[in-house]
Amino acid sequence: MTTKLKEVDVVLVGLGWTGGILAKELTEAGHQVVALERGGMRSTENDFSVPRIRDDLRFGSRNDLMQNPAKDTLTIRNNPSQLALPMRRLGSFLPGEGVGGAGVHWNGVTWRWNDNELRVRSLYEERYGRNYIPADMTIQDWGVTYAELEPYYEKFERTAGVSGKAGNLRGEIQQGGNPFEAPRANEYPLPPLETSYSAELFNKTAAELGHHPFPCPTANASRAYTNPDGAKFGACQYCGFCERFGCEANAKGSPHITVIPIAMKNPNFELRTHSWVTKVLKDPTGKRVTGVTYTNVMNGEEFEQPAGLVVLCAYAINNVHIMLLSGIGKPYDPVAQTGVIGKNYCYQTGASATLFFEGNYFNPFMGTGGLNARTDDFHSNWNFDRSKFGYVGGATLGAGMTNGRPLGYRPVPAGTPRWGKAWKDATAKWYNSAMSVGMSGSVMANRYNYYDLDPTYRNAFGQPLMRMTFDYKENEYKMGRHIAGVINEIAKAMNPTHLNPASARSGSWSVVPYQSTHNTGGTIMGTNPGNSAVNKYLQSWDCHNLFIMGASVFPHNSAYNPTGPVGALAYRAADTLKNVYLKNPGPLVSA
Amino acid sequence: MNVMSKHALRFIVLSGSLAVTGAHADGDAARGKKLFEECAACHALERGANGVGPSLNGVFERKAGELADFRYSPAMKRSALPWNARTLDIFLADPQQEIKGNRMPFSGIPEARDRADLIEYLKAATK
Repeated sequence: MTTKLKEVDVVLVGLGWTGGILAKELTEAGHQVVALERGGMRSTENDFSVPRIRDDLRFGSRNDLMQNPAKDTLTIRNNPSQLALPMRRLGSFLPGEGVGGAGVHWNGVTWRWNDNELRVRSLYEERYGRNYIPADMTIQDWGVTYAELEPYYEKFERTAGVSGKAGNLRGEIQQGGNPFEAPRANEYPLPPLETSYSAELFNKTAAELGHHPFPCPTANASRAYTNPDGAKFGACQYCGFCERFGCEANAKGSPHITVIPIAMKNPNFELRTHSWVTKVLKDPTGKRVTGVTYTNVMNGEEFEQPAGLVVLCAYAINNVHIMLLSGIGKPYDPVAQTGVIGKNYCYQTGASATLFFEGNYFNPFMGTGGLNARTDDFHSNWNFDRSKFGYVGGATLGAGMTNGRPLGYRPVPAGTPRWGKAWKDATAKWYNSAMSVGMSGSVMANRYNYYDLDPTYRNAFGQPLMRMTFDYKENEYKMGRHIAGVINEIAKAMNPTHLNPASARSGSWSVVPYQSTHNTGGTIMGTNPGNSAVNKYLQSWDCHNLFIMGASVFPHNSAYNPTGPVGALAYRAADTLKNVYLKNPGPLVSA
Repeated sequence: MNVMSKHALRFIVLSGSLAVTGAHADGDAARGKKLFEECAACHALERGANGVGPSLNGVFERKAGELADFRYSPAMKRSALPWNARTLDIFLADPQQEIKGNRMPFSGIPEARDRADLIEYLKAATK
């Protein structure tokens, strides 16, 4: 039996970065907001204090802060001709669960995606001609420009305490920053982190070879910081337990120490944890949503929470899943190429070389999430001529020290036995004397990479699992070959004792080894209801009182990490909701 | 190698144990207030306001690990160190060295003058 609760102004599905931003902004504007989070409560003092949090087995290997695939997972296949099977343990990507979401266990890397991405189709057609983009590459302009997002990028960077060095201030190129970034109105709120020894070596050689290295912008506070909302950050201690862990020192920009506690002090806000939303409800016309149904996972009780406005703030994959389960918007069909929900699922691609230097000591245990030098010469650098290599998109390169975890970090030269005394000797010898040079590469949308509902497998609530159909295409292989070559050129010039060279990806994507938790697309934004699920304000084209936050609105994936635009788009949507929509509800863009 | 050199410097500074006096009598409280930003993400000055770290209200009148409503590490409780300008000075120079196994995730304040200024500020601010 479902208990129907009293209507509230706003219901947020999920309480991570985007839910936290909306919770704070909308409650401050006087609206009554309920957040439904399927995981539990989390705080630094109770969950992330040392020594509890520095447990590599529990959090690093067994993913204790992530979703449990025994309750809900996806089925996976590489192409529509295959039978999809359930992912029964986490591998390639690690969706978060619990208050703060992935915002508690991310690395902190915060980029500003620019018009190379936001106007991707227009810009490539202008420069390289219409025929340059393959027919099955379903990239599109996002419907929003960098200039529109700039103030919101800044707002998010200030909230999250991003450390970095501007490379372009109001059109003036700045020494030491990324010369290829889009113009910023202001500097980063915090100066860059320290430079690791590995980054120092990389910077020297990369610059000699004509690249332009700079410190990676990242929400690891380089010094103590108070953000504009009054949230206090400690200085990063370079403890080496960042990605997959919560920060013990309140030094990582995270929603549970910034926007969420501010919302929680507001009497207009209510958080219900362990509340798993199963469906968004529509009225009989199908033009409006009326609320959500959810289950208290602690006791199985079912509730209906009516609301004037529903905002999906769950992990990107789960936002798409709930849209498909709720029957809102037309599901995407890759054969007929009709429908939009599930369309343009994208991922990322990587490759790296490991360099071993006899007699050099890198101290990998002194690291943090974004302790990296990067280059953007083959990504945001629009002057880089892609036609020589025949691809769309690009990759950033870099080196640094994210972590030297006792279980997770065991670099050994190629050819070392995988176990036994020889392996033990090699891992002891090289733990402190290895570094890597790696890339993060874009994945362009493809007609056959998408989500739909699985016809066979169901989750703990009896609902169909989401089915992911994904593989790398020729575009990614071409880019991988080019960038792996560049990595190896730099790595060889650094003159290591041994080199495990980078190899370009050639086979199909596999869900088993960890690669990246940058899953994008499925409820994409765009210029009209024919090509997208939401408009430039992240408002559903189908139901005007339904908004969707997060990376599921990205029409393709770049080499940059997604959280910068996730935060900026959420702040922009919050402004639009407060100042326009909630004063006069209706479609914000006419279809 | 900035991270390295900072740690190396600390190694020299921490040579003192609790028996060695390191406190400076004449700290600059205004400068100390600014330095307290390093601590404020975890420590509040209001009575009973425990966060990641315990409230510092009244710290000069108590021993380490004494607040009933804060969950201290066993190491901090065991130390039962009476807090005063001298013990704070030594502790803050390298917290892990002086009370091994305590849970404060902070690598310390290597400069004696910085510690003196911070302690001077805390004397009034924690009352």
